[in-house]
Amino acid sequence: MLRIEEDFELELRSLPGVLNVGFEHDEEGGVTTVTLVTNAPNREEITTVAQQISALYYPEAHVVVDDVNRLTEATLGGRGGARAALVRAECDAQGVCEVVLNYAGRLATGKAPSGPLIGGVEATLGALRQLGFEIPFTLLSVSHMIAVRNWPVVVVLRSTQGGADRFGIAQSDNDVLAASRATLSALNRLPMSARNNGATH
Amino acid sequence: MPDVGLPADASGIDLDEVDHHGYEPWVFRTLLAELAVGELGISFIYTLLERLAERHDLDDAVVVLSDDAFGTQTFRLGARVEPVDMMTQLGTDPGLYCSPDAVSESEAEAVRAACQLALSLQLARFRAGQDPLTNIANRRNFDQALSVAAGRAARYGWPFTLVLIDLDGFKLINDESGHEFGDYLLRQFGFALRRSMRAGDTPARVGGDEFAVILNNAEGNEALGFTDRLRQQLKSGGVPIDFTVGTSSAPREATDPGELFRLADARLYQRKGGRD
Repeated sequence: MLRIEEDFELELRSLPGVLNVGFEHDEEGGVTTVTLVTNAPNREEITTVAQQISALYYPEAHVVVDDVNRLTEATLGGRGGARAALVRAECDAQGVCEVVLNYAGRLATGKAPSGPLIGGVEATLGALRQLGFEIPFTLLSVSHMIAVRNWPVVVVLRSTQGGADRFGIAQSDNDVLAASRATLSALNRLPMSARNNGATH
Repeated sequence: MPDVGLPADASGIDLDEVDHHGYEPWVFRTLLAELAVGELGISFIYTLLERLAERHDLDDAVVVLSDDAFGTQTFRLGARVEPVDMMTQLGTDPGLYCSPDAVSESEAEAVRAACQLALSLQLARFRAGQDPLTNIANRRNFDQALSVAAGRAARYGWPFTLVLIDLDGFKLINDESGHEFGDYLLRQFGFALRRSMRAGDTPARVGGDEFAVILNNAEGNEALGFTDRLRQQLKSGGVPIDFTVGTSSAPREATDPGELFRLADARLYQRKGGRD
């Protein structure tokens, strides 16, 4: 990568709300198209400034600014390589917990009683199943790892198919968040498939 | 094959607490090699992703990094941006996202931490010499450039012109139209300045509404040519501001950076005639 291109990229990335920058090159290595992905509300302003910056480095380059929030489920659904990401995890005063996950633009909400630790795990498993994942595990235990700074939460999931147990660990000021993260951590990198079965949006 | 879950350390790690034992050996070796040649920056991030892809035959890899002031930044193998794919990979949690998912947790974390270090160093380097509003050199960087140019003028007789620029009526505009508009004007002026430069010239913001330029191998008429180009850039860009300049030339008038600055400043002040 040329130093000038690196400076160009860094300057574009320093614009507020820019998440990613990509270039297309011609055969001589010159930049022909600059694509920015942004979550900034003022996309027009970002576009104008990006065009000005681009004109300084590569006057002929075409600038495209994509708004990450405009991407829809229709364009995202069913693609491989996606990850289920934790959006929110919380419990009410009665100990009923709610976990919201996002998978390739689809949102799913899992609910479970029993307080932040057990509820957090069960709600996370529920949300994953709503998303269409087959989870061949049940909760074996969830607990604080006492005597460790900030008491991380450890989750153990038992295979329903005779496979090995899976362990997950996560730390947070919030127990339900830690339990949910630990559950996802336990299932991390588990090969599985999601049926596109109309999970809640 | 889809991958479920958060990166191993969703909360991120404190780079101050990372020692080399935390890195996978190949990541650490790459890190050392790039540090030795001073290439630890954005290019290092792409290099590391490419090496990771070669090792594991990956189709795709995205690393999500986070900087307090810079915000979330994602870097993708090959610097490609395909927003649809990006979104499926994009999380707010720093981490490494690969497809197919063949990378171990410790290796993923080592790559992410090394990339975070590279980004932090690149940013520190970038910010140390740049004015954050206009993205041209700051006063500190400019003083160094002026010393270098003055030294060459003294030793080898290489000429240059120092141009000091003061925006006309900026304080009034700032007071009447607000700081936001004032910042907009400064940014636009910075763009116009950069577009008026020849390769090798050094523009800088040296004060609130004061700019300076070192025009290498230029004296007299060439400095006038520069101010004409700058006015043309402001006009074509619809930037509603004018400016006054003061100049000094090396080695003809002086070769001491302080004296050159004083001469140009005195001429600028004279031309302003006491105006803001």
